[in-house]
Amino acid sequence: MEVKKHDIKNICIFILPGLALFTLFFIIPVGYVSITSFFEWNGITSPIFKGLYNYKDIFSDKVFWRSVKNNVLWAVVAGGVQVPLAMLMALILSKKPRGWQFFRTVYFLPQVISGIALAMLWAAMYNSEFGLINGLLRAVGLGEYATNWLGTVKTAFPCMLIYWVFYIGYYMVIMLADITNIDESYYEAAQIDGADGIRQHIHITIPLIKGSFQTCVTLAMIFGLRTFEQVYLLTNGGPANRTSVLVLYLYNQMKTNNYGGANASSVMLILTGACVILMIRGIFAKLNKE
Amino acid sequence: MSAKTAQSIVREKKNIRDYLASFFKWVLIIFFAVYTLFPLLWLFLTSLKTNAEYFDNPFSLPAVPQWQNYVNAFQQANLGRMISNSVIVAVTATVINVMIASMLSYCLSRFKFKGREIIFTFFSVGVLVPLNALMVPYFSIFSKMGLVDSLGALIILYAAIGLPISTFIIRGFMSSFPAEIEEAAYIDGSGFYGRFFKMILPLTKTGLVTAATFEFITCWNEFVYANLLTSSPVTKTIQIGIRYFTNQFTTDYVSMYAAIIISIAPSIIGYMLFQKQVISGLTSGAVKG
Repeated sequence: MEVKKHDIKNICIFILPGLALFTLFFIIPVGYVSITSFFEWNGITSPIFKGLYNYKDIFSDKVFWRSVKNNVLWAVVAGGVQVPLAMLMALILSKKPRGWQFFRTVYFLPQVISGIALAMLWAAMYNSEFGLINGLLRAVGLGEYATNWLGTVKTAFPCMLIYWVFYIGYYMVIMLADITNIDESYYEAAQIDGADGIRQHIHITIPLIKGSFQTCVTLAMIFGLRTFEQVYLLTNGGPANRTSVLVLYLYNQMKTNNYGGANASSVMLILTGACVILMIRGIFAKLNKE
Repeated sequence: MSAKTAQSIVREKKNIRDYLASFFKWVLIIFFAVYTLFPLLWLFLTSLKTNAEYFDNPFSLPAVPQWQNYVNAFQQANLGRMISNSVIVAVTATVINVMIASMLSYCLSRFKFKGREIIFTFFSVGVLVPLNALMVPYFSIFSKMGLVDSLGALIILYAAIGLPISTFIIRGFMSSFPAEIEEAAYIDGSGFYGRFFKMILPLTKTGLVTAATFEFITCWNEFVYANLLTSSPVTKTIQIGIRYFTNQFTTDYVSMYAAIIISIAPSIIGYMLFQKQVISGLTSGAVKG
């Protein structure tokens, strides 16, 4: 609709609240962390300009690099394992096997449960004395492998990664919706040519859902970078900072009143996110060309 | 004859392959279902046992269902207060969020004006900002407003950070609504507000419900900022509440498990009742954005 003159005032009134909230909670905070990351600041006395001091400080911290490494690993597992598994199940359910709607409902279930409740559920599963996993191992005679899963340096981080990898419902539903939109006539033509189910998927379905696959990989990796509550609740970064992630690192900096360091970590987190998005775009642009 | 046997060999080969494919398909389908349901079911059954039963054997069924565990969890941790806090925050934030987002979406989808594309671009980037990176500024903002440790802080913050996604969802629905009908209403003398309230909003109800579902679930499940911005017992939400069970019931496991079940029961019941809206609400932001 063309803007009528007397509507201009009304449009301004309608846009203003949204724009104000967005400015206050997105634009100003991002500017704020970027600027204050160059200052030394404990939250009480006035900030002192220190140039790149905060960055040098966190870059020389082993825990920071451990957190970056864990975050990257987390994002890669989410984008590289969880999303492909979700695609596999979307392909299977798209052929509407018996009870597929029930299974879709079940797979999506973890999505409505809070991260903190899921983390507590898995804390109970991993519990070294009474947990279900050690219980199962003992029941089948593999009791010697029972261990304190989250308290052991070797197993803590893999355990943190593994439990959500099989919660595929969210990405599966996105890709399944995309598959449902594919025109039936493609498959009819393929059937006449004698292509079986698996070939149809490889030559028709997968190329046609590349877009939603890319969306899912991007989302999964971004969620991976945002990770906090699982780590905070299950291990709080331990043992020996093995499971620390960037958000936990910045949270701890903030708790010790090192606001400058916290903000430098925030900037690094935002930059890592931007890099990941650009990287995924680059990779998919290249794939689409070929 | 030879043609016939060749054909039957091909058919047989195909049959074996089909059986194998079908077998693996069902292994996968059932694996993912068991993986999701079994731990939840185990937690629920354990929450009905006595601690002694649980320590004795994590697999056994409760001899007598201990509903008392649920009463304990409710009383010891003041769960009622936390649930009502969560409801207040989630409902208020959702109403504010959807109202502001639909006003903005109306302008973005129905009118052409300078700056429209810029707003849209900013919101697209906003969806992808890792919000957990903004703990320090959000804390400062609410300190300056004097709202730290109040439900108001959570309401404002949740309404604000859900804005980009809600706007995407609602804008998508409003854009698909044909302009001619609105033009006709305009010619008939219907004003800006009349068209918005009497026409656009009722006709894009599905979009509003979808956005509201997304926002409500996000608010209900939010932990990071509830943990940062609230500290006293009267402002705790349910997610903070169950986290403190880990300290309170270090020996009373079964009551802790009962508390976890209490916290997730509303989500699961809501999901069962409004499955369609929940699924489309949680995923349409991704598809439309």
